Amino acid sequence: MISGNTAHVGGDREVTDEVDYVVDIRHLSKVFKRKTRAVNGYTTFKQALLARLKGQRTVADKVEEPVTIGIKDLTIRIPRGASIGLIGRNGSGKSTFLKLITGIYKPTSGVVNVRGRIAALIELGAGFHPDFTGRENLVLAGIMHGLTREEINARFDDIVRFAELEHVIDDPVRTYSSGMFMRLGFSIAIHTDPDILLVDEVLAVGDAGFVAKCKDRIAELRRSGKTLILVTHDLDAVERWCDEAVWLHKGDVKDRGNPRRVIDAYRHHIEKQEEGALLEEDTAQVAAATSVDAASDGRQSSRWGSREVEITQVSLVGTDGSEKRVLHPEDTARVRMSYKVHGSHEGLVFGVGITRVDGLSVFGTNTDIDRVNLPAVGTSGVVECEIPRIGLVEGSYTFDVAVHRTDGYPYDYHKDVVHFSVRSDKREVGVSSLTRSWVVDGVRCSC
Amino acid sequence: MLGSVKQVWQFRTLVGALVRRHIATRYRGSLFGFLWSLLNPLCLMAVYTLVFSYYMRFNGGPHYHLMVFAGLLPWIWTSSSLMEGTASLVNSGHLITKSLFPPQVLPVVSVTAAMVHFLLALPILAIFSLLAGVPVSWTWLLVPLVVALQAIFLTGIVLGLSALNVFFRDVQHLVGNFLTLLFFLCPVVYPVSVVPERLRFLVTYNPFAALTQFYQEMLVEGVLPNSSSVLYVAAMCVVVGFIGVRVHSHYQERFAEAL
Repeated sequence: MISGNTAHVGGDREVTDEVDYVVDIRHLSKVFKRKTRAVNGYTTFKQALLARLKGQRTVADKVEEPVTIGIKDLTIRIPRGASIGLIGRNGSGKSTFLKLITGIYKPTSGVVNVRGRIAALIELGAGFHPDFTGRENLVLAGIMHGLTREEINARFDDIVRFAELEHVIDDPVRTYSSGMFMRLGFSIAIHTDPDILLVDEVLAVGDAGFVAKCKDRIAELRRSGKTLILVTHDLDAVERWCDEAVWLHKGDVKDRGNPRRVIDAYRHHIEKQEEGALLEEDTAQVAAATSVDAASDGRQSSRWGSREVEITQVSLVGTDGSEKRVLHPEDTARVRMSYKVHGSHEGLVFGVGITRVDGLSVFGTNTDIDRVNLPAVGTSGVVECEIPRIGLVEGSYTFDVAVHRTDGYPYDYHKDVVHFSVRSDKREVGVSSLTRSWVVDGVRCSC
Repeated sequence: MLGSVKQVWQFRTLVGALVRRHIATRYRGSLFGFLWSLLNPLCLMAVYTLVFSYYMRFNGGPHYHLMVFAGLLPWIWTSSSLMEGTASLVNSGHLITKSLFPPQVLPVVSVTAAMVHFLLALPILAIFSLLAGVPVSWTWLLVPLVVALQAIFLTGIVLGLSALNVFFRDVQHLVGNFLTLLFFLCPVVYPVSVVPERLRFLVTYNPFAALTQFYQEMLVEGVLPNSSSVLYVAAMCVVVGFIGVRVHSHYQERFAEAL
């Protein structure tokens, strides 16, 4: 909801070099004060008064103030007509950056120069009043975007048609579905003649048909020389649309440049972080499971069996023996089980299974199925199942492991004991990433 | 200072549209619509006249009920502006945090919407006057000047209070209680003449009380107010307006983060 952001200095245009920069940001920093005394984010008068009585000048003076850094010394210049994709994890400063460009936040230091009207597709329909009709809200939203009444009247039909709301435009917007609400907001924003289009993840909502239409419209605006700033987790969209990707990390530009390269670096970084998180999760789960087991009859939903033979530890490791939680389809996976024998046993069978996160059983086997000649086991040891190529499509999976008797009598079953993800730069569908090659007219093609 | 005023002028279409919506919101779905906003001053007038004129036999002059009504209408403008206006930024926080919305517009809308209600109620006062045999005097023509003074005065206060309320939510509760006190410090239900001489300053130096008097004099008694009193109120309007705009623009940059 931007009304002609005129942050530019008059006559500044000649000063800059030949390139026409619509967004010119230099050494931008934004620091948020975290008020220690704040209750629910705001201070009460009483607290300020008490602080004053106690001799502190204001609440803000209280001790050394903890601050959160939103953006750290950022310099970006965006030429007219360029498309920039902002990527980064949640909390990396993307939204703060957008609020600084639109002028909602004031920079702590540095300069933000924006030349031209911004259409921010951020909070669509932020100003809509539920009791008013689509028509009334459209007019008011248009005014908030800085349009005159004449301009609104001239575009009214286009806006309504694009939003596909002809039949309900005179109904109160509270009767609209969230998709209709969004469509109206999007349609208004896009019909305001923006020079700069800020798109923040809005395409994540709405039905497929409308999203396609929005994408077409954005592409059209791009072709007509508008500047696009795209904030999204949809890395493919960044790759497809943007000339440059900027990777924000904790308020800092971690990398920028060719989208393909930056996105790859970003993906790699995410995988490593994810690996760490999954490992932590499993450790916590194992700890929880053990503590529960101690007090129960040993029949848990995630673990059951007589425990005459016990699997004491399970890990997923790579070829180098280090713990893995994120794999590529081509990677080798080894499931390592440490066992302990407590009582009598006969006909031991070790098994592993893979389940997709939605419960689909992907694969299962055991030493009996595989006709493994198990050597006589001692009182403890390690059994490993090596899968030379995990061969799954991108997704989240878990491993189950078990040890039981040939007749099925359970010694120790662990369900969902190791969580892991498969990440791929290919967008194969289904479950299994089969090994394949393509032959066209008798010629084997390289992938 | 001038910059802020200019900005509001730039956004006059927006103010107009929001005022219209504000008024429409209040009566949407109700059968009698605007008539409801008349009911409140009418009830109050009836009750005060009953209690003071008949129960307590208080001699408030020949047209006590008209004096009460002429005092109540601007009072309701004041109280609803201050109540709604103070909370306006907090209540519409999503506009400020989610979009580049000119925050000074919100308190201005509260004051303006209440003013529209006030203006729409004036014809009722004229009808009552004629019914009571009181002629509608030429001094009515000068009332817009008093309205302008009150509008500036209220806007100044509300701009300042709404900004403070973003950081200290207690302000809106303080205002509510303060208004109760203020009502009885204004000569709405009693004439100034009953105020003892040594307490008279409570009326003379209270711009709200002075404004009440102006309306009563011009709308009911058909006389022009004391010119020094008018000058005093005008000076107060400038001072309060200036402070209000300054306080508001001082805190404005921090609204989006504090809300």
